[in-house]
Amino acid sequence: MTKKISAVLFLLLLCSAAHAEEPAVERPVLSAYAIEAGSSHITETYLSPLHHSGTALAFSYERMQAMRFDPKRWVMRLDMRLSGARTLNQPARNAYLWDMSIRAGWSMLRRFRPAGNWTVFAGGSTDIEGGAFYLPRNSNNPVAAKASWTVNLAAGAAWNHRFGKVPVCFRYLAEMPLTGIFFSPQYGELYYEIYLGNHKDLVRGAWWGNFFRLDNLLTADIRLGRTIIRAGYRCDILSTKASHIVTRRIEHMAVLGIASEWISLSADRRGPSRECRIISALY
Amino acid sequence: MKKLYYIICAAALALLTFANTGCHSVDEWDDDVYGNFDALWTIMDEHYCFFSEKGIDWKETGARYRAQLRPDMTQEEFFNVCAAMLDELKDGHTNLSSWFNVSYYRKWWSDYPQNFDWRLIQEHYLDFNYSTANGMSYKILADSTVGYVYYSSFAYSVNHSFVNAMMMKMKDCKGMIIDVRDNGGGNLTGAEDLVSHFIDEKTLAGYIQHKTGPGHDAFSEPYPYYFEPVIGVRWLKPVIVLANRSTFSAANNFVSIMKSLPQVAVAGATTGGGSGAPFSSEIPCGWAVRFSASPIYDPEMRLTEHGVDPTEGFNVQMDTTAALDGRDTMLDFCIDVIRNLKTESDSTSRFVKNI
Repeated sequence: MTKKISAVLFLLLLCSAAHAEEPAVERPVLSAYAIEAGSSHITETYLSPLHHSGTALAFSYERMQAMRFDPKRWVMRLDMRLSGARTLNQPARNAYLWDMSIRAGWSMLRRFRPAGNWTVFAGGSTDIEGGAFYLPRNSNNPVAAKASWTVNLAAGAAWNHRFGKVPVCFRYLAEMPLTGIFFSPQYGELYYEIYLGNHKDLVRGAWWGNFFRLDNLLTADIRLGRTIIRAGYRCDILSTKASHIVTRRIEHMAVLGIASEWISLSADRRGPSRECRIISALY
Repeated sequence: MKKLYYIICAAALALLTFANTGCHSVDEWDDDVYGNFDALWTIMDEHYCFFSEKGIDWKETGARYRAQLRPDMTQEEFFNVCAAMLDELKDGHTNLSSWFNVSYYRKWWSDYPQNFDWRLIQEHYLDFNYSTANGMSYKILADSTVGYVYYSSFAYSVNHSFVNAMMMKMKDCKGMIIDVRDNGGGNLTGAEDLVSHFIDEKTLAGYIQHKTGPGHDAFSEPYPYYFEPVIGVRWLKPVIVLANRSTFSAANNFVSIMKSLPQVAVAGATTGGGSGAPFSSEIPCGWAVRFSASPIYDPEMRLTEHGVDPTEGFNVQMDTTAALDGRDTMLDFCIDVIRNLKTESDSTSRFVKNI
């Protein structure tokens, strides 16, 4: 029995020694804050059959980090976005339709390095979104509330290149819901009836046939010293259909922001050693 | 390396193709007289809720009015054709709003006697001296035996504190008259707020339905809805709700619910109806359209689109000759009924028999 215990302890010691030989790994956090401005094109047939077009603004935050369990291959991404739009009915342009929404998502992406400075990402994500369209001219149906929780496919690619002395990272990321749930009233159902307590069939299962979304984000991260300037373009396409109510929103947004990579330190945690290996989420 | 480019290009192309086909289609109309007319006709065809109830052949109606269109007609001429088509629905909740006019179907009240003169009541019953707030005015009449309340519109929110104070002041009265003549409605929640002062347990208020699709008969199962009593003063003594033909929409809903309560009688004339909760939409030229979309039924599952009849024996009209002498014969009738109640606790059946 004593021999067995000694053998196990010896093996554990060997393992820990082997582990100790591996260089320490630091996983810097990439944080990016961006302002987005552009156009929004909305059709919400619960409120009006007309198309509405106008200006849109958004504030977004993104956080990326290599994952602890396999930092070379796996990356996680957290993104949050608050957006609003003021649009006019087309072609008359005499009534505003407002849109306000907030979205948060978390992704887990497997990365591949197929060649040179290329990185390809593929994985899954989950999003939660809430918001509303508001058409003040309507009497009893001025608002169409939106809420969804989806599980998505996420994929993208990044290309790191140096233009002279300036490193630039071009990245494309796309997300598309596979399934989930979303809120929709029935065709002619007033929110007053929901208020009275009729909650039947308000939550719908989402699939590509009734809930289509494609969020495309193309960015260029330009490293200027310690600061990273982010410029890019977002095309977010949302199209849903439930109970004959069609909701369609297409946003084209210019993205401008600031990003930085950082490592957290605290009183009981020293900074990275010279031998330490730094695995960035993106660069 | 080339392979990778091909893969990325193919993936991007596939995504873009999918994005284009993934969007759901929406009907589109031209912004000319025909396009706007078709948009209006289609919106009504798919959303209006009383075609079957009113026996309207909307296809035939549309074809008849579409034949009157000319490409060179003025906006006003076009508006008049559309308004005339909507008038065929005989619905006070249906309006077309342009920048120069709003269409109304007025015959639901204009073909009936008005049966109300607020100036007369203020002058000869209230002496221009009464308490008022949020569209509600009250005074105690007839030697402190009758509480009189006039509620002009449900567009005002019901002020519970005001109603509590009013009911406390009327606590020694034999009964209350709630006058909702010329009350054209407003917020449906106002009816709930006011009814909650006249019930002491959860009460069936009615049923509501909605369209489940564009078909004329695509309706949901009627959903029963209930009101809870207010946490505050509750009036369980006799009540007479006084209505006329211009009592409409949310006020019509209020009357239909009150009529089902045991201590309440409805007096006056048949109300104006308007039991379809309205929806709004718009057409390409920017005009807005409003129409009945969700039928609301009374607690006995009767549609009140054409009005709520007075309680049997309480049908009374205003004598216009007496009005010249400052008498409102409808109000006098209600005052007499309450003043002649034998006991304070008369229930409706006994209450009705007491007249």
